[in-house]
Amino acid sequence: MTAIASLMDGVVYTDPAGNVALLNAVAEELVGARSLVAVGKRLRDLTGRPELLQAIGADLGRMAEERETTRTVEVHHQLKDLIYVRCTTSRVHDHRGRPAGAMTVLRDVTDEFKTDQLRNQFLSIVAHELRTPLTGIKAFATMMAKGALGALAERQQRACDSIREQALRLEHQIDKLIKLGTLDVAAYGQQKEDFAAKDLVAGLLAPFEEPARDRRIALTLAVEGGEALLHADQHDLRRACQSLIENAVKFGRDGGKVAVVIERRGDGLRFRVDDDGIGVDPRYHRRIFEKFFQVEDPLTRHHGGAGLGLFVANGIVEAHGCRIEVESRLGQGASFAFDLPMTVTRTPEADDRAVVTEEDKP
Amino acid sequence: MTRTVLIIEDEKLIVVSTQMVLEAAGFRVESANNGEDGLAKARAATPDLILLDIMMPGIDGWETLTRLKRDPATSRIPVIVFTAREHARGHQRSADLGAVDYFRKPFEPDELVELVGKYAGESAN
Repeated sequence: MTAIASLMDGVVYTDPAGNVALLNAVAEELVGARSLVAVGKRLRDLTGRPELLQAIGADLGRMAEERETTRTVEVHHQLKDLIYVRCTTSRVHDHRGRPAGAMTVLRDVTDEFKTDQLRNQFLSIVAHELRTPLTGIKAFATMMAKGALGALAERQQRACDSIREQALRLEHQIDKLIKLGTLDVAAYGQQKEDFAAKDLVAGLLAPFEEPARDRRIALTLAVEGGEALLHADQHDLRRACQSLIENAVKFGRDGGKVAVVIERRGDGLRFRVDDDGIGVDPRYHRRIFEKFFQVEDPLTRHHGGAGLGLFVANGIVEAHGCRIEVESRLGQGASFAFDLPMTVTRTPEADDRAVVTEEDKP
Repeated sequence: MTRTVLIIEDEKLIVVSTQMVLEAAGFRVESANNGEDGLAKARAATPDLILLDIMMPGIDGWETLTRLKRDPATSRIPVIVFTAREHARGHQRSADLGAVDYFRKPFEPDELVELVGKYAGESAN
């Protein structure tokens, strides 16, 4: 109790009936309700900050089909104006694996959110400032190159073609910059459907076969339980898996190996990518999932990229109620893995009933 | 018959370059460098098509578009929104406000001519 009371994050625990059983001090402050009043009541019957209470209430309702959900809620705060609270709700099970309610962890992410918003705005303005002159350059160069402004000598033609080409290249770079700035994690996992695990791995390695071959890396795939059904946004999940494979190849050792594995774990499946490359210092194990984070100094780095692969992969995996786990030491390779979101064939209630039927059998 | 295109845009460079591209394709081009002026020119010149920038001082492109569609004198003129900046759901928003299309800068001259031709009718060439 004391440990939970002194946490920096807000914690709300609701029992299997959906009543609040615990609300720590930070959660009291964030949801705007006192523990004394809240305990024993349903969340939606509380008076406090309605946006947050409703969001948590809705996430609790989803616990039948999701193991964990994460979302960021905009909350009106009398003293601090608008604040942004990240709510992560997960199922809790008792020692016999039966549903024992749900735990919601609340964290004030206002600073992070505002920094992100600023960065996006900044990029958008930069884009405008760069695209405007480029529009002129591209239009004029194209018209000249086409001879629409008069016939050109051969050297003039070459110069115009080159100006146009460079303008196109610049445009492409600006587009890339903007795409990076406007990544929206909230947009992942929107189109969930059921599909077999083997569909996920079909063609999964294709984009990496050539880069792996070039560096004599043995890229292998092993799949267990390929018929098992996943419940996920297939496009996004593939992207997350490929991002892990891409990293493994990129940071792998020349002549080394990268193993992509789907293996059984408990009732479900786990996706894992192992490499024997440069590895990640344990002190960066959390930071590597941050937006734009790169272990290397961007000015001296050998590996390309924007520091977004793991950020995006993690965003996608979290949108499916799972989490990427990393095991690695500097110089000793890395292993990235996450539990695949499985199709829930029976609701917890159905599970309970099934148990009763079993016991009722003569 | 020569078709007229009205460009509402505050960046002179964009106006000049767009004008050159469209005139070379046989369109007549009018321009206005802000929303208010654009609304007045749209009423006076009744162009066959309007190319409308979003980020402008004074009334912005969204507001200009709203007023163009509200005024019976201009409501039937097709408008193409023309933008250099990513707008959240910009495409949807311009459609909701009554624009016929949404076009990004920097544009590809041939594509612009094709698009303008599609909504303004064929040029003189």
